[in-house]
Amino acid sequence: MRWSGIVSACCAALTLTPPSFASAPSALPPYTPAYEPTTVDERGMWMEADERERLLRDSPLRIREGGLERYVREVLCREVGDDRCKGVRVYVMEIPAFNASMMANGCMEVWSGLLLRARSEAELAAVLGHEFGHFELRHTLMGFKAKRSATDVMAWVDVLGGITNRDMSSANVSLVGSLYRFNRAQETEADLLGFKYMAASGYPAKAASEVWQQRMAEDDATALGRGLKPRRNYTSGFFDTHPTDLKRAEYLAKAAAALPADGDARVEQYRAAIAPYLSRMLAAQIKMNDFGGTDFILNSLASSGGWSGELLFARAELYRTRGNPRDLQMASLWYRDAKAAGYVAPELDRNLGLALLRNGQTEDARKSLGAYLVARPEAPDAKMIQALLAK
Amino acid sequence: MKTKRVATLIAVSVAANAAIAAHANSLVAPGAHTGIANSKLSANSQGEWNRLSRVDGKNVEVWTLDGDALNKVSFYGGIANGMPLLREPDKKRHPLPKVSGTMLMTDIPALLETTYRSLGIVNQMEIGEQSPAILGGRKAIRFTYTLTRAADQVRRKGEGIGTLVDGKLYLVTYEAPALHFFDKDIERYRQLAASLAL
Amino acid sequence: MKGGLIVRAAVFAALVALSMPGIAQERTGSKTGFTLQPGTARIVLMRPTIRVGAQSTGGMPEPNADWTRQARENLTRALRAAQERLGNQVIEYDEGASGEGQIATEYGQLFGAVADSVIEYQFFVGNRLPTKKRKDSFEWTLGRGIGELRSLTGADYALFININDEYGSTGRKVLQLVALMGGVAVTSGVHVGHAGLVDLKTGELVWLNADAAMGGDVRTAEGAEKRVAQLLEGFPGRPSEKTIGGQ
Repeated sequence: MRWSGIVSACCAALTLTPPSFASAPSALPPYTPAYEPTTVDERGMWMEADERERLLRDSPLRIREGGLERYVREVLCREVGDDRCKGVRVYVMEIPAFNASMMANGCMEVWSGLLLRARSEAELAAVLGHEFGHFELRHTLMGFKAKRSATDVMAWVDVLGGITNRDMSSANVSLVGSLYRFNRAQETEADLLGFKYMAASGYPAKAASEVWQQRMAEDDATALGRGLKPRRNYTSGFFDTHPTDLKRAEYLAKAAAALPADGDARVEQYRAAIAPYLSRMLAAQIKMNDFGGTDFILNSLASSGGWSGELLFARAELYRTRGNPRDLQMASLWYRDAKAAGYVAPELDRNLGLALLRNGQTEDARKSLGAYLVARPEAPDAKMIQALLAK
Repeated sequence: MKTKRVATLIAVSVAANAAIAAHANSLVAPGAHTGIANSKLSANSQGEWNRLSRVDGKNVEVWTLDGDALNKVSFYGGIANGMPLLREPDKKRHPLPKVSGTMLMTDIPALLETTYRSLGIVNQMEIGEQSPAILGGRKAIRFTYTLTRAADQVRRKGEGIGTLVDGKLYLVTYEAPALHFFDKDIERYRQLAASLAL
Repeated sequence: MKGGLIVRAAVFAALVALSMPGIAQERTGSKTGFTLQPGTARIVLMRPTIRVGAQSTGGMPEPNADWTRQARENLTRALRAAQERLGNQVIEYDEGASGEGQIATEYGQLFGAVADSVIEYQFFVGNRLPTKKRKDSFEWTLGRGIGELRSLTGADYALFININDEYGSTGRKVLQLVALMGGVAVTSGVHVGHAGLVDLKTGELVWLNADAAMGGDVRTAEGAEKRVAQLLEGFPGRPSEKTIGGQ
């Protein structure tokens, strides 16, 4: 279920009072490890969380290979400390949207869309730490109650609108979508606690603000790409869990400025850990029909690490997919640049050939498509490529 | 007054039933069928099918045997340049990819995949084999795919055939759960696909 | 009235008809001529999907672990007792060492898709598929593959159960009163359940009971018995009413 429209309206009405970060954050309080649920509601939350965890654990969307979950958990531990991360289970799901959430039973869920967008361990840590903050503050239970209030409002709206409220909830917990939604006060509390984690972690505190600024800039780019006005409706992506706004990024930045500026964001380590998954994440992102947002992400990745062969290839793919004549020209250029930068897969020859063919450059297309067929004679699309050449 | 309200409700109910009847799913009898999906697409069916009254798009028609979650043949009839395959729930904020008059055959399965992904209706999708085919006497592409729908998490297989005529896209797909259903009806779909004419 | 409003009113009325208490959908279907001889069958109860919790005003299910665990226990016990009264054996599904847990889950998902199709396209009168409208037509299957699962060896039938059960909170009951005064129906307490029996020799769905509004509080043993009685209503071998297809 998507609440973005109504919740954004509700949240816009709330006034945001920035928390006072005048002095450096005090030391982290001693940590009480996850307790057993006591009240009926809490047991209910745990049960639902356990059911959801079982679905996550067995889901075909889970990225099990390569130690990615172990790495993400290490980042969490570096952020919040070993005492706190003991017993936390991390699941990474292959879903191309920015999301991370933590459930009442200590299960953390991270989507690949977040891993694509974070630019350093510090940025990833800031988001994970923020989610862990909700968990430590037991917001997961209170958040549940908060969500109930939002849906009460909606029910009355429906009744007044005269539309029958027919709720046939599925018996299965949906894998997509979050169980929790927090109010502004809770978000602020989690930000505050997140700052304490950051200060103790060795990561630079400004990463927290930069993550949200980046999200807003991407949303602006998405809007512009669709011919809409930017700065209208900030959502964190397809499944909104954290309505974010300018004020929040601003107070986070201000607070970070008050802290000593050092810290190691561990950009290189992050890039190395994500590298094996980058091309599939980019491929999925390109298929979301968000030209502006995807272009923004590519430019962002390139601005910190340069235009690698992989990024050039992805850029070419993005433009070829949109497919205007000028796009096809640019795509052809970038495929060639990607090859020069070391992208060796024969799929590049095929896609370059397709871009050239579509743009009417038949002779050049033949060369590239031919090269693909030589390298991949048994490819699942070989016969189709041959047929295109036979025209 | 209570009686007036009840009378109104009854009247609306009657109208509703009439509306429902008018919009009922219809029988596709064996034989020739023209004007499929409000287009010049036609097919010859050896057996019976059901045509769903539900409308997924202006030039989209869905046939099924047991219900579209179990076997689904979708006809896309002459989708024009600049138009999406399916109806857009939010044209401005979440637009769907569009047909392009210059698209290549290989762009057809890509368009289907991007359409499904940007609608959020699939968790997983992968295009498999792509080979040349004939649709209505014209060069076309035949392709296979796998997908998992977000709504029910059921793993499905798909097969499609498509081509462009005068810059318009004609596409027919068949999707069914990988367990039992896909194999059960694949030959009936292929018979339909072989009979397609433009 | 504008055209759009007429269609909207029609849809609205259809929804009202579906949701009005008293006009609850209760449908059973079974394969033509199917009967279950008492004392002959070994039935495996697949892991039921049961969620029981109080429904808040806004229709968001509040999970309640006590009720769910209790409900599962009560229902399983009641099912076993009911079947034993018929002389059949009910065993809970156990993956054991077969490694078939994943595929058993997939069959559970497939059952859900089939059950939904039966409800949407056969039980829901306005939406029937012409090829399935014919008298005595109840032809639904999960395919033969399910009978080949090692973890189901020796069993004759698989019983699949889905129940989503919520009870209206005070807020929702108030909402319902207000809505009724305004001529709008609001369901209080969503009860969606289906129970289906699959013949493991053929993979056919030989019996399905789908009830959109069920009674009996499954948190209690008596409630569970009542619910089981409803779920098993029209179960082959027992006297049944409102059966489509088989007698």
